[in-house]
Amino acid sequence: MDISTNDYRVWTEGSTIHYEGTMRLSGTDAYAPILEGMNAILAAKPDLITLDLTSLQFLNSSGINLLAKFTIEIRKQPDVGVRVLGSKSIPWQSKSLRNLQRLHPALELTIS
Amino acid sequence: MTAPAPTPQNERQIGRFSLRSFRAKFMLVVGIAVLFDLALAGGIGIWNVQRLSRDATKQVGDGLTTATEEYLQTYIDTTAFRADLLINRVHSELATLASTMQTLIDHPDIQEAVGETVSKSPDFSSPLVYDPKGGWVQNEAGVPSAVSVWGYLLDENMQPVPKAAEELKKSSFLSLVGPSMMSTGAPKLQIYYVGPKDASIMRATPYSEQAQTFDLLYPGHNEGPNFWDFFFPGVYEGWQGWIEDPSSRPVASDIVTTAPYVDAITGELIVSFFHPLWSADRKDLAGMVAVDITLEQLTSLVESLEISETGFGFLAMSDGNVVATNSIGEKTLGLVSTDVSGQGVTGVNRNLTESSQAAIASLDLGATRDTVIEHIFLDHGGEEVPYLLVLKQLNPTNLWDGAGITGETMTLGFVVSEREIYQSLIDATDNISAATTRILNYQVIAFLFSIVVVFLAVYAISGRITKGLSRLADAAKALQNKDYSVRVEIPTRDEVAAVGLAFNRMAEEISYHTENLENLVEERTKKLENANSEIVALNARLKSENLRLGAELDVARRIQEMVLPRRSELDIIPQIEIAAFMEPADEVGGDYYDVLFDGEHIKVGIGDVTGHGLESGVLMLMVQSVARALQEKGDRDPVAFLDVLNRAVYKNIARTRSDKHLTLAFVDYHEGKVTLSGQHEEVLIIRANGETERIDTMDLGFPVGLEEDILPFVATLVLPFGPEDILILHTDGITEAENDRGEMFGLDRLSQSAHENRLKSAKGIAEAVITDVKSHIGGHKVFDDITLVVLKHR
Repeated sequence: MDISTNDYRVWTEGSTIHYEGTMRLSGTDAYAPILEGMNAILAAKPDLITLDLTSLQFLNSSGINLLAKFTIEIRKQPDVGVRVLGSKSIPWQSKSLRNLQRLHPALELTIS
Repeated sequence: MTAPAPTPQNERQIGRFSLRSFRAKFMLVVGIAVLFDLALAGGIGIWNVQRLSRDATKQVGDGLTTATEEYLQTYIDTTAFRADLLINRVHSELATLASTMQTLIDHPDIQEAVGETVSKSPDFSSPLVYDPKGGWVQNEAGVPSAVSVWGYLLDENMQPVPKAAEELKKSSFLSLVGPSMMSTGAPKLQIYYVGPKDASIMRATPYSEQAQTFDLLYPGHNEGPNFWDFFFPGVYEGWQGWIEDPSSRPVASDIVTTAPYVDAITGELIVSFFHPLWSADRKDLAGMVAVDITLEQLTSLVESLEISETGFGFLAMSDGNVVATNSIGEKTLGLVSTDVSGQGVTGVNRNLTESSQAAIASLDLGATRDTVIEHIFLDHGGEEVPYLLVLKQLNPTNLWDGAGITGETMTLGFVVSEREIYQSLIDATDNISAATTRILNYQVIAFLFSIVVVFLAVYAISGRITKGLSRLADAAKALQNKDYSVRVEIPTRDEVAAVGLAFNRMAEEISYHTENLENLVEERTKKLENANSEIVALNARLKSENLRLGAELDVARRIQEMVLPRRSELDIIPQIEIAAFMEPADEVGGDYYDVLFDGEHIKVGIGDVTGHGLESGVLMLMVQSVARALQEKGDRDPVAFLDVLNRAVYKNIARTRSDKHLTLAFVDYHEGKVTLSGQHEEVLIIRANGETERIDTMDLGFPVGLEEDILPFVATLVLPFGPEDILILHTDGITEAENDRGEMFGLDRLSQSAHENRLKSAKGIAEAVITDVKSHIGGHKVFDDITLVVLKHR
């Protein structure tokens, strides 16, 4: 997957999904292609899925909903590990990402 | 505006044979190509023929020169050898005679006896007779030899003095051998004997009236002092010198030669060879024997040489005097004859040094004994004609030069015109040159013929090639004149034919379009009409769709408006002044806030549903309804309150297969305390003394509708809330409001703005903050719903 617009870019490298820029997509339908790509990685059942958000400056509520839903999906597959990389310098991350860990305590959250 | 008239340039007619026509250009190109090809091939051919001719001429010329020079060298060597042989032959005969005579001198008794015997024989001796006219004594004719005793050798009785008489006897031997020697061997004019200086009688065979001849030719010879000094001065003394020093001989031979001279008796060009006789004791001379020969043999040898056509030989003395050559030679060499009178004998002189030809006059004859070959130029009436000159020296001899004895080497020379030698070569070169010219002429004819043939062929072919183009041009012109029925027929199958085919199709199309323009317009109009009606229908459908969407949005808006608390509800709350502001980004926002007051407890909720639209509105309505129900039921435990609310919403979301959730937090006020529960944005509290507190709600709850059971995450936080304390709730639409530069409004600005306006009423604070937010956004896009709830303790 490699989705790129003027505002953001989402791409995968192996089982790592990178998010970059500002994501303000209007609603779940708009996020569908991204979720599809993420589910495709999950379908391959890798040992560890990494969500790299360190360059994602902004994510709206629909985007956060997307991450939450995806975390719930991963939680259903105990063999698949998940790691979320965030950045302290981006305000929304340090708050919202903790909810992901709450949803799935096995989720490894690294906010650096 | 009308189209510009076609320029005359475009209209110019291109004649079939005009230089501008394709055919003319085609012919020109092919013609030039053929011309170039022929010229190149012809040029190379002629150049090669000429080079071949030049090389062959040079090689043959070199060969000819070598062969000629070798031939001439061999020829001159042979001729010189023959000449030497001729002279040597005479020399050897003379030497034999001299040797015999010397033997007699060396044996006086035998000589005496032989002389006595011979002089007494009438067959060999005749009486001496005094000639009173000449004053000398000479024997009578009829015997083999004539002997003369000159006046100065006679006594008063006209009788020979004793010494002379003795010589007469001694020399009579010549009568014995003379005739046989004359009749054998080399042709000789005469053989003679001359006595020593004090008795220089002369005896010669055959008999001739020699004294008479001498008187005629050499008057005064009878006067003395002796024969030697009168006729051959210097010879006698020369020989005497040799006795003392034999090495003083110029050539290692006793024989001395005279230069050629005209014989007094015969009138022929003759040469005399002298051989000295020595006294028995070898202390002095005892006379000599001599032979006269004509140079006829030598000159005929030289003069009869046949060298080429006008080539000739010549024989020259070392002083340049030409002894022998033929008339051609005399003329070619530019010789001038002069008579030279010498003492006693008359010579001839045709000297090379006096030649009218500079090249001849400067010849060096004594250069070398080897054969010399020179290339010289002789002047022939102003023209420099090349000649080949070959020189070869004969064997050297001792020469009496009229004063003494010197060495002499004669030189044989050949002169041949090089033009004659190379005549065949010149002829061959001329032939080759003529052949080259002939070839050139043929080439030119072939060239012209080829050009004519090629041009005729090209003309014929080009007609075929350009026929198609001409037809195309004609057809195009016809088309220009609006004759749309025109079609081109091109018999070939080349590109022109392809163009013709395309032209025909084009013409057909033009014809079709032109003739069917009205039909076409009508057809197109009909199509347009159909399209238009389709568009109208679509537009109508679109309008209804919009209406439907608009209706849905209206409903959603109504729901949101319906759910939000009325102003009047808020005003009646006694302890707390509550002001709320909400502005959706789109028609329907996802933000939610509520104020539930049951007369005793005040519960203020704030939330943010993901997304917007009707679905979000319904979810909000659900949340509001459940919250109201729980409030009315009197559920005072915020944790249980949130848990039940979450379960209800979660299940309803699952039923409606919605994928939305929301953040939701509540503030419960009761008797100077606020209890915070639920996870949402930070809560801002500005105390009456101006201190600001920020309360993170992350650990107080969890997004609602995401998980069935959020109880483990829900917690409460109880804070005091006294008079003039201010509590501010907001959604991320405030903090994440961006300006033109992408800067967010942020919690700091919100906090500062509220702090600055803390003395105002809740409504005043809300209005001031919203004004700051709006001024921050400026003309930038509003991304999210903006919601602000301000609580101020009365």
